[in-house]
Amino acid sequence: MAAPGQPVLQMVGVTKRFAGTVAVDGVDFELLPGEVHALMGENGAGKSTLMKILAGSFADYTGQILIDGQPVDLRSPQAAQANGVAMIYQELSLAPPISVAENLLAGRLPGRGPWLDRRALTEQARACLARVGLEIDPAVPVEDLSLHEAQLVEVAKALATEPRILVMDEPTSALSREEVDRLFELIDRLRGEGLSIIYISHHLPEVFRIVDRVTVMRDGRRVITHAIGEVTSRSLVELMVGGSVNTLYPVRERPASAVGSQPLLRVEGLTRYGFFHDVSFALRPGEIVGLCGLAGSGRSEVARSLCGLDPLDEGRVFLAEEPLMAGDYGAAIGAGLAYLTEDRKAQGLALRLTIGENLLAASTPRLTRWGRYREALGRPTTAGLLTALQVHPAEPEREVSTLSGGNQQKVLLGKWLATEPRVLILDEPTRGVDVGAKAVIHRAVAHVADQGHAVLLISSDLPELVGLSDRILVLREGHLIGELRGEERSEETALLAANGELPGRRP
Amino acid sequence: MSEAKTQRHRPVSGVYLFVLALLLLGRLVSPTFWTAGSLLQVVQDVSILGVVAVGLAFITYSGHFVDLSIPAIMAVSGIVAVALLPYGYSLALAAGLLSGLLLGLVNGLVVGYLRLNPILWTLAALSLIDGITRWAYGGQWIYADETTLAGTRFVGIYRASVLGVPAIVLVFAAVAIVGGLLMRHSGWGRNLKLVGAAYEPARMSGVPVRRTVCIAFVLSGLTSALAGLIKTSLNKYGDVEIGLGYDFLALTAVVLGGTPLAGGRGTMAGVVGGALVMGLLGSILPLIPGIGQDQQSMIRGVIFVVVVGLSQWALRRRGRDDQ
Repeated sequence: MAAPGQPVLQMVGVTKRFAGTVAVDGVDFELLPGEVHALMGENGAGKSTLMKILAGSFADYTGQILIDGQPVDLRSPQAAQANGVAMIYQELSLAPPISVAENLLAGRLPGRGPWLDRRALTEQARACLARVGLEIDPAVPVEDLSLHEAQLVEVAKALATEPRILVMDEPTSALSREEVDRLFELIDRLRGEGLSIIYISHHLPEVFRIVDRVTVMRDGRRVITHAIGEVTSRSLVELMVGGSVNTLYPVRERPASAVGSQPLLRVEGLTRYGFFHDVSFALRPGEIVGLCGLAGSGRSEVARSLCGLDPLDEGRVFLAEEPLMAGDYGAAIGAGLAYLTEDRKAQGLALRLTIGENLLAASTPRLTRWGRYREALGRPTTAGLLTALQVHPAEPEREVSTLSGGNQQKVLLGKWLATEPRVLILDEPTRGVDVGAKAVIHRAVAHVADQGHAVLLISSDLPELVGLSDRILVLREGHLIGELRGEERSEETALLAANGELPGRRP
Repeated sequence: MSEAKTQRHRPVSGVYLFVLALLLLGRLVSPTFWTAGSLLQVVQDVSILGVVAVGLAFITYSGHFVDLSIPAIMAVSGIVAVALLPYGYSLALAAGLLSGLLLGLVNGLVVGYLRLNPILWTLAALSLIDGITRWAYGGQWIYADETTLAGTRFVGIYRASVLGVPAIVLVFAAVAIVGGLLMRHSGWGRNLKLVGAAYEPARMSGVPVRRTVCIAFVLSGLTSALAGLIKTSLNKYGDVEIGLGYDFLALTAVVLGGTPLAGGRGTMAGVVGGALVMGLLGSILPLIPGIGQDQQSMIRGVIFVVVVGLSQWALRRRGRDDQ
């Protein structure tokens, strides 16, 4: 066992490079026994990469990692587990149709000869569940559990490997307030048992409630480590945002038409029970309006419901003051709405088809006359988009799956630009995209607004949200709680607002 | 780019190389094989299968694998037509086609709108339709009454010819051309390709995915019914078993023609080629000593497995495992 006060984990000068970029740059990180340690930073700051190194996801990191003072090599998930590291990701790793017991003990099911030892299975599973204070029948399939229970099962599964270090990545984003309380009680108890926990979150109030120390990362480097009592939410946000390398955002004149003219999109009292409540706003011609909120605040849900992709319980949507029928996505697109999904691979692009086919995928109705698809009509559009978006290689016949992520994202945006939308809704338009592609996409989005159309921008990339938007709507726990205008717009105010602290107002 | 192009065209040329090889084999086996009459006979024999394959191709292209209720739809349309012959020739044909269209619509509604697994549902539909037909007709053959004008005309469909070309070969050609236009040059065909290549992105692009899939099943029902009419005309009687095996043969033809089971690519020219291969095999294999019905069936099974295996392997090798 470690000497008192000796860190359970020391990372010294840990570095991880990806092609062309340094994701984690010489980071030193220390974790004490029995502490909850928050790891904070903007998207892309390197938190996830650092934790993946710890979990043994990368064989090619450099630098040293010591556990209990002993140097260890965490170059495979097995090595990480053997050294007492366990991870709980945002997406659960449980198999829904399988029983809780089998999920908990997957890979080491107790056997008697060739047969499964049911009694031992149930007993061992009960013991695991007891550690997280969950009293459920281990024979129940995971799909019958609530999300909160499933998450506790996930924790129990991680604890079953007897870890020294537990990493939790945004564990509360899908939980209700009461469930968060119960999770925190559990974290408290585990801390009491001497377990060290690394806690990744953007929720400032939660961080202040539960953690002992906090480490802030920015641009792949560790900025600072503090005891939680030494910082305020404002100073934390400044540390996370301050001086981060900003790409240049296109300079836009806010068109005079935006003021007072009839809105292109107006929503009134949008409600989907359990997701968002009484959301109302309007987009005017030439405007880019940001929608800001933490994971789980209902950002994407609002967008999907207003397009008609998801149901709407109450509220109305007007496109250029014409009412849109709820739940009719095709009609909404026909009326000039476009929704760029956040999930490029599963929902955005037909990866097996060509660039040209993807660019025109949403334009079939426009290119069809009397049932006949006029392929030639689409060619100028394709050529124009390939040039405007600098898609590389600019070959319409090439399969989209062979493109880089950045160029795929350009094609996805191009698909919607091809429909010449009056209202363009963008959900994380530059996630996982290189700097060059990002700049191209930002210019294209600005161009859409300059032409007198309206853009709703959902992004967890704060510099992008602040740099591109004319004003920012703030969504918190499904409620629109305010708006940031003019000088109020900064990464700090946006992040504080998403956490419920609006400028000039106290929650 | 040139590589991408050849990739896209290879499946079609591939199946016609197969056709050519079989033509050569046919010449080896039988010196009289290369005569116009003999070759036309091959095409006539394959017309029924070809019509079925054209309709089925839409379903496979849309990523919904296969319509296993094809044999039952063929039987129903034939029986309905024969039963209604006393009320007039045109009415009988129209009713036969309509029955296929309606059964296809049911399949389309269930698979397209309710999103049931196409294989499971059409398998169930096959059993349902077959059971109802047997119950209604007692599993008996219903003969077309050749003493009436309608009966004679109906039986004559298979035997008619225009300028020496069997009429049903022309029907097959017309169906293939219309099918090709729909697949390649219609807005619906464009959407069908998107749905087949990537269902969720198609939906997110505003494609009316449910309706698009439904129409594919309706068209397959229609071509199955047409094939059922022709087959019944050939037999001269309506019978619940006339469609036996056409589902599998047609699927083999479709996949052989370069439409992968995963959907999203393929051409009607390829489907016609696939049907020709199946037809040539059916004509040539019996000429080889020692090959009977059983061996032919085994050979078709092996071809199916090899072709599906190759198409999956080719996709996987290019890093696009469709599973």
